[in-house]
Amino acid sequence: MFDQLKKTEVYKSIFRHSYQDTQRNRALQIVDNVFLHLHPVRVPRHATNLSYTWGMGGITFLLFLILTITGVILMFYYRPTAQYAYEDMKYLMNDVPFGPLIRNMHRWAAHAMVLTVMLHMFRVFLTGSYKPPRQFNWVVGVLLLVLTLLLSFSGYLLPWDQLSIWAVTVGTNMARATPLLGHEGPLGPELGMRIDNDVRFVLLGGTEVGPPTLLRFYVGHCIFLPLIAVIFMAVHFWRVRKDGGISGPEAAKKI
Amino acid sequence: MGQFLEILSKPDNIPIVLLLLSVIYFTWLYWVKAKRNDMATVPVEATQDDKVQVWPYLVRIEFLMTIAIMAVMVVWSIALDAPLEEPANRALTPNPSKAPWYFLGLQELLVYFDPWIAGVVLPTLIIVGLMAIPYVDINEKGNGYYTYKERKFAVLTFGFGFLIMWVALIVLGTFLRGPGWNFFWPGEVWDPHYVAVLTNVDLSEYFGITTRMPDNSLNPLAFIFGAVCVGGFYSLGVLYWIKNRNTDLMQKLGLVRYSVVSFLFLSMVGVVIKVILRLLPTAFGLNPVKYVWVTPWFNV
Amino acid sequence: MSDQVSQEVNNQPAAEAVAQQAPKPASPQISPSPLPRKPKQDRPPEGDPGIWRLSRRNLLTLAGWMGFFGFIIASTIGSLRYMFPRVLFEPPMKFKAGSPSEFTIGEVSERFKDEKRVWIVREREGFYALISICTHLGCTPRWLPSDNKFKCPCHGSGFYKTGMNFEGPAPRPLERAYVGIADDGQLEIDRSIKFLYEKNEWTKPGAFLKYTG
Repeated sequence: MFDQLKKTEVYKSIFRHSYQDTQRNRALQIVDNVFLHLHPVRVPRHATNLSYTWGMGGITFLLFLILTITGVILMFYYRPTAQYAYEDMKYLMNDVPFGPLIRNMHRWAAHAMVLTVMLHMFRVFLTGSYKPPRQFNWVVGVLLLVLTLLLSFSGYLLPWDQLSIWAVTVGTNMARATPLLGHEGPLGPELGMRIDNDVRFVLLGGTEVGPPTLLRFYVGHCIFLPLIAVIFMAVHFWRVRKDGGISGPEAAKKI
Repeated sequence: MGQFLEILSKPDNIPIVLLLLSVIYFTWLYWVKAKRNDMATVPVEATQDDKVQVWPYLVRIEFLMTIAIMAVMVVWSIALDAPLEEPANRALTPNPSKAPWYFLGLQELLVYFDPWIAGVVLPTLIIVGLMAIPYVDINEKGNGYYTYKERKFAVLTFGFGFLIMWVALIVLGTFLRGPGWNFFWPGEVWDPHYVAVLTNVDLSEYFGITTRMPDNSLNPLAFIFGAVCVGGFYSLGVLYWIKNRNTDLMQKLGLVRYSVVSFLFLSMVGVVIKVILRLLPTAFGLNPVKYVWVTPWFNV
Repeated sequence: MSDQVSQEVNNQPAAEAVAQQAPKPASPQISPSPLPRKPKQDRPPEGDPGIWRLSRRNLLTLAGWMGFFGFIIASTIGSLRYMFPRVLFEPPMKFKAGSPSEFTIGEVSERFKDEKRVWIVREREGFYALISICTHLGCTPRWLPSDNKFKCPCHGSGFYKTGMNFEGPAPRPLERAYVGIADDGQLEIDRSIKFLYEKNEWTKPGAFLKYTG
């Protein structure tokens, strides 16, 4: 029966090779799969050694996927207005089936992602993997770290409770003091910065954290920042391959 | 002590406990691996250079890790509820008010520096400094394997920046800063009415130069004193260059790279010095230092 | 060799244009002595002028590029401007705070703190209004009557009743708002008019309302 199925044109059009365990099929598994194609067919053995890689980059990517999925699910019940946001959170936590699970997972995965990004950077530094030819990919990685922090920070406001509004008030008030661009920063007032035209005003969409801020942070959190992060992630992964795969002691071995 | 455990186990503080444990573990792991490589003639990674097929040897690790992480996330999400406090109220500031945990190191620095430094300049320097690392580190060794011996300065500087300036300050800001952002030892009760009497003075006042004239205008002597302090501190980098410019290392590094390294390094050290200037005098019953350099436009 | 000659000819009119305009990516053959030629794949295709050959002859190309960059710059500025709304839906800064006799001498009134974010202080000689936003990072300090000071819960800044900062990280005193008497005899506060101590503005009229009724 299954053999019959395997002979149909439909099956063959989807799966291009058999599953018999041969070296050739192992290679085809990677090359013929759009997702696994991210990988090379073969890697040095130390690349499969968790005590070398710590696995933090991969876990970060997994957490990003978890966050994307749970985030989209949360959007079904959440309205980003000051009037409804908090009520929707209460509703999610109390009455939506599996609502607490999804929301908890979104929050804890976000925390965990910040953690794994930091550890990934720590590992890349300690193995000297930012050295030539991987300098630029380290820069992309730093940008991704910043984007992760911004994503997490913008998500912090969305529950619209005391915790979020004050964390964001404290955070964005630093922007008041931006040199040149903030109305309380050095040389800011001299350049004509006021509370209603400086860099903080753009972030908040008002002179204090209010309903426009919630909407701005929501759009930034759900659309703008993830989009940029995905673009940088694409560059990051692509450069890992282009710069010769996972770092390793090639130079040391040549000597 | 009960309250300290309570703070420790607050759901939102779990990541910090995880951070602390994982950083300790990974630092230890690094140390073990680096020591082993430093003793050997060829790093261990170089002996594992033979190729293996990604399917199944790498893919199965990814698959197992995915399952493990998903299991952890599900258990974590079932066990602990994400916090949801009272509805937002602009007029009522909770005490203490804390930023998200990963910014608590920066929030801690807000105690010592004006917001434009702690909130804008230092984060910018951190980001730019991190991005500059690959371009100023010209040491070719230690690429792709763990080592300490071959890149001591790089590892020590980064380790200090990450472990002390970032992780330790986060832990301090989360667990030891209570109401009014006052410092509480583990086991001390967070008393919201605790009042720390702190009268900050400017550094110049230790030398008998008052910052403000009687009519509240800036004392030019204090301005010059501060400028000399800050300028003198950064010129240490220039002195070091003049003294060592003919060494091989400095020749290879070049003036531009050296300037970047010394500026970033001195800035990091400067932050530590300012923190010490604020904290240490209280131990001797002196007034903490508020500013080193007061100018009409900004204060450092 | 022949293609090199044709390149030279091609470049003649371009040279004048280049001289007038800002430096452009150099045209390939300027050096007089023929250098060892690069392999074919490192040179542009033969006879292909490339897209950066700006001259009078292809004025339209130039206009096209200018239009392109002009559009990019204009739309960037436009989208930035888009983020600055013209109308804000925030409570008005100017309000009436009731009759001056409703305040007792020495009192720090928190009546308008929640809604308008000001404290109204009455002293023996008159009134002043402090904006209840910490000058450190904008938290709302608390008035502690027992300690006779304002204390910010965020980073522990302390302010005297006058608004002067004396402890913690706050870089400057609290700001004062305009206080006056409206036509109907009520106190009038305008938060949009601020008086900063460090600019010696507390002595200005409006920062302090003389009242001994």
